[in-house]
Amino acid sequence: RALLARPAGALRALRALAAGPEMHFGFQTVTEEERREKIYQVFESVAKKYDVMNDSMTLGIHRVWKDILVHKMNPSPGTLLLDVAGGTGDIAFRFINYVRSIRERQLQRKLKHHQNLSWQEIFESYQKDKFNSLGDSQVVVCDINREMLKVGKQKAQHLGYTEGLSWVLGNAEELPFDDDMFDVYTIAFGIRNVTRIDLALQEAYRVLKPGGRFLCLEFSHVSNPLLSRLYDLYSFQVIPVLGEVIAGDWKSYQYLVESIRRFPPQEELKAMIEDAGFFKVDYENLNFGIVAIHSGFKL
Amino acid sequence: VRCQHYPPLRALQASAVLRRVSDEHKKEPFTSSSQQHFDSPPAGHQPEQEPQGPRPSYTGQGGQESEDYESEEQLQHRILTAALEFVPEHGWTAEAIAEGAKTLGLSVAAAGMFHSDGSELILHFVSECNAKLSELLEKEQKQVQLGEAEKKPIDAFLRDAVEARLRMLIPYIEKWPQALSVLLLPRNIPSSLNLLTSMIDDIMHYAGDQSTDFNWYTRRAVLTGIYNTTELVMMQDSSPDFEDTWRFLENRVADAMTMSNTASQVQSTGEAVVQGLMGAAVTVSSAETGRAVRA
Repeated sequence: RALLARPAGALRALRALAAGPEMHFGFQTVTEEERREKIYQVFESVAKKYDVMNDSMTLGIHRVWKDILVHKMNPSPGTLLLDVAGGTGDIAFRFINYVRSIRERQLQRKLKHHQNLSWQEIFESYQKDKFNSLGDSQVVVCDINREMLKVGKQKAQHLGYTEGLSWVLGNAEELPFDDDMFDVYTIAFGIRNVTRIDLALQEAYRVLKPGGRFLCLEFSHVSNPLLSRLYDLYSFQVIPVLGEVIAGDWKSYQYLVESIRRFPPQEELKAMIEDAGFFKVDYENLNFGIVAIHSGFKL
Repeated sequence: VRCQHYPPLRALQASAVLRRVSDEHKKEPFTSSSQQHFDSPPAGHQPEQEPQGPRPSYTGQGGQESEDYESEEQLQHRILTAALEFVPEHGWTAEAIAEGAKTLGLSVAAAGMFHSDGSELILHFVSECNAKLSELLEKEQKQVQLGEAEKKPIDAFLRDAVEARLRMLIPYIEKWPQALSVLLLPRNIPSSLNLLTSMIDDIMHYAGDQSTDFNWYTRRAVLTGIYNTTELVMMQDSSPDFEDTWRFLENRVADAMTMSNTASQVQSTGEAVVQGLMGAAVTVSSAETGRAVRA
């Protein structure tokens, strides 16, 4: 019987090897393949209620976090942004708004300098610049999950964002883009769900232009002990309940909370970003470490 | 057991990491004093600093590169120097820095390395001007030592030095008031004050000031006052080639000279008066004793 058992055991071992090494999915231990699948399913099921859940879980503060991210980016017109795991388009829309307002101010300033133009010429310049209200800025929203992209596209239509947006299906670990393409790469609340973070960082490095910036907005570790206790209490007692009540999906939000705990803390992520080749890597804690923005440059 | 895939990129990166680690101990020599003033989020040598301000921000050691490669600071200097030519158009802003980065072939996002109010750009410019001034004064001093030029009297020397330094502002004069206001932001005051005082110190040093008493401070304070007021006058001067400003400068320097002469005159007069009083007192008391003796 021992002879029979060995090939079976070997086969199982081989299959396990093919499926990939052991990984964490929340507090469970799964293989790489299983993890990808499970995460895909999580976001497939939450896609429609994603924004509502974000608002209720964070009491709307996630909007401020995302605003801070775009302000930190301070994009100038003509910037090409790649928003990875950007599913429902929050960062993309904020980017477009920001660039549009900067562009308006630029045009106003240009006009002030040319006050000696005749009104005819001013009118003609409006026509010319009307088709350039974004100043050639573009944002590419890339997500691995079709459902999230669908929700994002619908939102864009609903809110009236027509130009400067592109929606691409892609895996952060293997981006379907060429080298040295983008000015800024952002990943907001997405890198936690990537199975091989190092690969994603390497891809980010690859697709960025020299001088390009990597920005990562993600839940991180709270060092303040009192706040950490309150935060844990809120995370494990309130959020899954909200998930069940609002989205009808307890398990996905249990996964969310657990994955936050499993994610590397600020310093470790900073080291990983440096390993990928970025320079001037630093991070900014928001709300005492509940969320952190990591930034690095490809120099 | 985790199997790690090692794509060929890893080997390069491993060597990059090694290079970085080995060079962490190799300190970049600070070639100009400018570097220590405004690299306040140090990309260089210090370990993590305590959080400053409402939102703690931690700057890491980006990694020192070996001498073949440019360090981050050198690259930042290059970007800022390139950005200066866009200042007349965009002002001292992140836009100018972005344009500068574009000319170097970098993405506009590289401007994110600096503050969005353009502080680093202005501080960089000021320290570059100070360095140029030092070079100029050094050259002049050499010429005097070699006997090729006459040693200037002190007031002419100070006048020329301040004028030379202020003339460097002329290409950017329209946006300079904006720069001055940024330099007065509390965050920038340590650095800008540092740059100002070292520049004044430089000028006084080349002027031959060897005082070791309190005069050291008064002289520099007076010169700082002259420099600042002349700079402000220059901001709203519309005369051809800023003639009014140079005349103002001349008058202020003359005032300062007169003041120092007057001060020493007052001192010697005061001494003379005191001595006179003492003498009168002695005379009176000896006359009294003489009268007492005779009577």
